[in-house]
Amino acid sequence: MAKVAFREERCKGCALCIDVCPKHILSITGTINRKGYRVAGCQDMDQCTGCALCAEMCPDIVIEVWK
Amino acid sequence: MSKKILAQGNEAIARGALAAGCRYYFGYPITPQNEVPEYLSKHLPEAGGVFIQAESEVASINMLLGAAATGARVMTSSSSPGISLKQEGISYLAGSEIPGVIVNMCRSGPGLGGIGPSQGDYYQATRGGGHGDYRTIVLAPHSVQENYDFTILAFDLADKYRNPVIVFGDAILGQMKEPVELKNPRPKTFKKDWALTGAKGRPQRILKSLYLADGELVDHNWNLYKKFQRMQKEVRYETLLVDDAKLVVVAFGSVARIVKTSIAMARKNGMKVGLVRPITLYPFPTAYLQELAQRIGHFMAMEMCTGQMVDDVKLAVMKTAEVGFYGRPPGSIPTPNELYEEIRKEYKRIS
Repeated sequence: MAKVAFREERCKGCALCIDVCPKHILSITGTINRKGYRVAGCQDMDQCTGCALCAEMCPDIVIEVWK
Repeated sequence: MSKKILAQGNEAIARGALAAGCRYYFGYPITPQNEVPEYLSKHLPEAGGVFIQAESEVASINMLLGAAATGARVMTSSSSPGISLKQEGISYLAGSEIPGVIVNMCRSGPGLGGIGPSQGDYYQATRGGGHGDYRTIVLAPHSVQENYDFTILAFDLADKYRNPVIVFGDAILGQMKEPVELKNPRPKTFKKDWALTGAKGRPQRILKSLYLADGELVDHNWNLYKKFQRMQKEVRYETLLVDDAKLVVVAFGSVARIVKTSIAMARKNGMKVGLVRPITLYPFPTAYLQELAQRIGHFMAMEMCTGQMVDDVKLAVMKTAEVGFYGRPPGSIPTPNELYEEIRKEYKRIS
């Protein structure tokens, strides 16, 4: 089973990861980080295939993926 | 030697300051520019400089005034609400003719607004911002590379004219990451025969903005005015596909960056659309737009606010050309498609 983790303090809420996720399981969460941004997160980890497109797209190196 | 790296916009500003020979930074944290002080807090002391996180924006701009009065290259940075707080100090800098670089990574307002990108501080930046009759040179980058380059340029212009210079970015330009070529130029040096360096063996120098004697302030203001007139030759702009254009879009900063894609889309669909991107917002490329308006009848200002720069475009061309406008209030970022659609509508209207 794949797992995706977000280093929320680095996230600026640009939502690029949400756009590229083929499973549409990422979204902007209700959490606001210390910089004041609404951060991205995964809503349904079970569906994650570990393709890591989100991590590749993220300009701020927020996302780590395990497969 | 130049070196290419991937850097965030704010980091590029900080690196530009170091490359320009800035060794003093005073600031107070605010999103979306925190990476400027973050970077400098580590690297300024390493370079033999001083980094101070002041107790407020007001304190930091006055620390800048004091340090710059000694002839050093000094920078502060903030974002919209913080820049409002610095206005008193900026006015004193202009009045005392002390150079300094102020970076505004503009966020949305009014008030606390939000932390997303905006261009709503255009009036504040280009009209002086604080009290009194003064202007500041305003440089508007539209890429991370320009963040780096224009920060260096800002220090040179500030020293050249003994005047505060504003680097006017926004949250997009601060937060996005792009390749930057670090040119690490040798910092230019300026003769500072006004700097307060200790009056041993020479007459005392005074830097002040208070002129109470009869007629003194008239002369002072006229001298400043003449300096602002001399600054006009620093006007910089970029043009794109204007030679055969029927409609010329005027946009700066991150909006200009997005508009470039929209214009490529318009060209693909047979619309003759060009772009003028003011790089200096003050001085504004008024003369160039006037000249362009002799043969192009339609302009369109595009901004991330409900309309500020459009006034300067109108002042430049209104005698001979028509000025359309599309404004996008802050909160989210316009897409190339959205701006293309507005260009298409305007183009259809004028055809």
